[in-house]
Amino acid sequence: MDRIKRYRIDPRDACLTCALDDLTLLYHGRSGQTHMVISPVPEMLRAMQDGATLTVNDLWHRLAQSYDLGDRDDALAQIGAQLEALEALGLVRAA
Amino acid sequence: MKHSLTLQIGPATFRIGSAWRAPIDQLADLYAGYPDRRGAIADFTVRLQPTNMLRRWVRPSIFITGDHGLADAAPMSLPHGLLAAEMGMNLQMALGWRRHLLLHASSVERDGRVLVMTGESGSGKSTLAALLGERGWRLMGDEFALLDLDKGAILPFPRLVSLKNQAIGVVQHVVGAQRMGPLLRATAKGDIRHLVPRPDVVARMAQGAMPALLLFPRFGHAAAIRPVGQGEAFMRLTQASTNYVALGEAGFVALTRFVTGVPACAIDFPSGEAAFEMIDRLWDEGV
Amino acid sequence: MSAALLVRVLRNPAAAEHLDAAQWNALIAAAKAERLIATLAWRVEGVRLPDHVQPILRDARMDAEREARQALWEADRAAAALAPIGVRLVVLKGTAYAAAGLLAGQGRFIGDLDILVPRSAMPQVERALMAAGWEWVKEDAYDDAYYRKWMHELPPMIHVERDQMIDVHHTILPLTARPKPDADALLADAVPAGENVWTLSPEDRVIHAAAHMLADGDLQGGLRNLWDIHCLLEHVDPVALDRRAARHGLRRHVAQAQRLAGALYGGGGALTLWDRIVRARLLARDGWGRETRKLLVFAFYLRSHWLRMPPLMLARHLWTKWRKGHRPR
Repeated sequence: MDRIKRYRIDPRDACLTCALDDLTLLYHGRSGQTHMVISPVPEMLRAMQDGATLTVNDLWHRLAQSYDLGDRDDALAQIGAQLEALEALGLVRAA
Repeated sequence: MKHSLTLQIGPATFRIGSAWRAPIDQLADLYAGYPDRRGAIADFTVRLQPTNMLRRWVRPSIFITGDHGLADAAPMSLPHGLLAAEMGMNLQMALGWRRHLLLHASSVERDGRVLVMTGESGSGKSTLAALLGERGWRLMGDEFALLDLDKGAILPFPRLVSLKNQAIGVVQHVVGAQRMGPLLRATAKGDIRHLVPRPDVVARMAQGAMPALLLFPRFGHAAAIRPVGQGEAFMRLTQASTNYVALGEAGFVALTRFVTGVPACAIDFPSGEAAFEMIDRLWDEGV
Repeated sequence: MSAALLVRVLRNPAAAEHLDAAQWNALIAAAKAERLIATLAWRVEGVRLPDHVQPILRDARMDAEREARQALWEADRAAAALAPIGVRLVVLKGTAYAAAGLLAGQGRFIGDLDILVPRSAMPQVERALMAAGWEWVKEDAYDDAYYRKWMHELPPMIHVERDQMIDVHHTILPLTARPKPDADALLADAVPAGENVWTLSPEDRVIHAAAHMLADGDLQGGLRNLWDIHCLLEHVDPVALDRRAARHGLRRHVAQAQRLAGALYGGGGALTLWDRIVRARLLARDGWGRETRKLLVFAFYLRSHWLRMPPLMLARHLWTKWRKGHRPR
């Protein structure tokens, strides 16, 4: 059976952010790493800031309230791929 | 160790020990105008020691180390002992300094504002800083610019200016031979000769100032100016900093403050005159 | 001898009040060389210090705090990598002291992440780590074969993005060493230290530190290891420790570690002749941070290899290393 993966931000993994003119910087205190990211990553992290446990679909709903995400399937695939990458970095966790 | 000396450069104090007399005598001579810190508690220890017991006398070979060292550092010959001492001090700063964000950059100040120039070895940043220092700017340093973590000022680190190859003649032509150290021929980086900074540079080495312009100079290309975005400036400065990672959050805060507050440009220049013309223009526009 | 000065101040921090500038320079150089500068900084907290010393010690503490944070993050990542294969993350040495919040972790610099896993799980662990971004540090056939056949660990791996090393052990001494610690017991009695991270039991931590210092290494960094032991001993009952050490075949080493820790950092104690030789090696550091007593240091370097392997193998190993230009530091 296909188990739907859920993600959340552990409060300890909260990042300092700094928007520059062309990209956003994230400083992750626990690892001491600085990440350079572009849309939609800062928007995704902001939408998860409350620590809620979300599926890709849940996050799409949250983002769709504030942004025009275009084709739904493309957006879901993009969000899913970004969450995987963020999980590998330790910025979000599988819940 | 047999021969030793304590030097203060900017905010840092170095205790330098050597198995041989010559490098210490040369340092004492060239740093004669710096504060006398004999017997002080030093931030760093530098050691110039023989690579092995025999190498103290037979074809002397200097191993540069200290509080921080590199296991695979190439040994140097005794006639290059002055350079070895300078490299030893740089090594301690690069690996051990934590009180400022360290940028591998030269810096000069005018009217209370600082021009920071960063680039690889050979970019011309040392030569430009040395020459600007003779043209009404205050030289703050040719190797490291120290970025204050709380307020964002640049602090001086005015060690001897290290000039390489053609730059030696260019600068000596301007300042005269009496402020130059001995010519060190055929080092790993070519010929090297040190310039002693002007007395006011040393007298004001505790005075910082706010940065106003960041340049990425590149010598040997047709004159060109290109604005550099904040993201690129940030990335290049993290690469030009040896302690950005070690400073953690404080380093992130200081560096983001710097790149969001200071305009940045890359300049290509074929000659000193071309560079001065571009720098004057950018300085007047930006400041 | 400035290593002796370092030991004296660690034992009695109030002694720092009476040092002159030359002694401070010697103390700082020795403490940096022994990687005990941040420990020293913690110890002399509250003691009146010269103005110029304060920022030096503050910097050292900051470095140690960053290393501890980094080490715990590496442990977190390794735990995440091993979770899918159901292997519990047991961390050793510095990371363990930081995870468990022990006195030994205060100001301790932590290099690589050392973990202990069941020998039978080594191939899976290797695969799981590689899937999570770790890779071999070097592709060297000799070292590789040597590690796999004779050592108690995999060849070191490094994380491709974070640039941090991990050492995967299946026991705490090389297989060629004479004592044979009971690795199953080490794992069975591990205790939790925070989320998803385990450490050895308090007794086993002492035993591991003693084995590492006295039955394996060449005493490089020995003063720091002995400081660990001195701090770790506060958490154990001597009788339980002795019983446990007997089980691992390391009674003699643990007893010697106790004597040395007491003599150097504690209330003193009677030393054997061999203890005194070890102590002389531990204190071989001058006021410029240089190693002194070169012959004694070299003797311990040779001994460390002798301890690990039979003589014929030793000759072969040293020959191979030396051909590659390796020398003791």
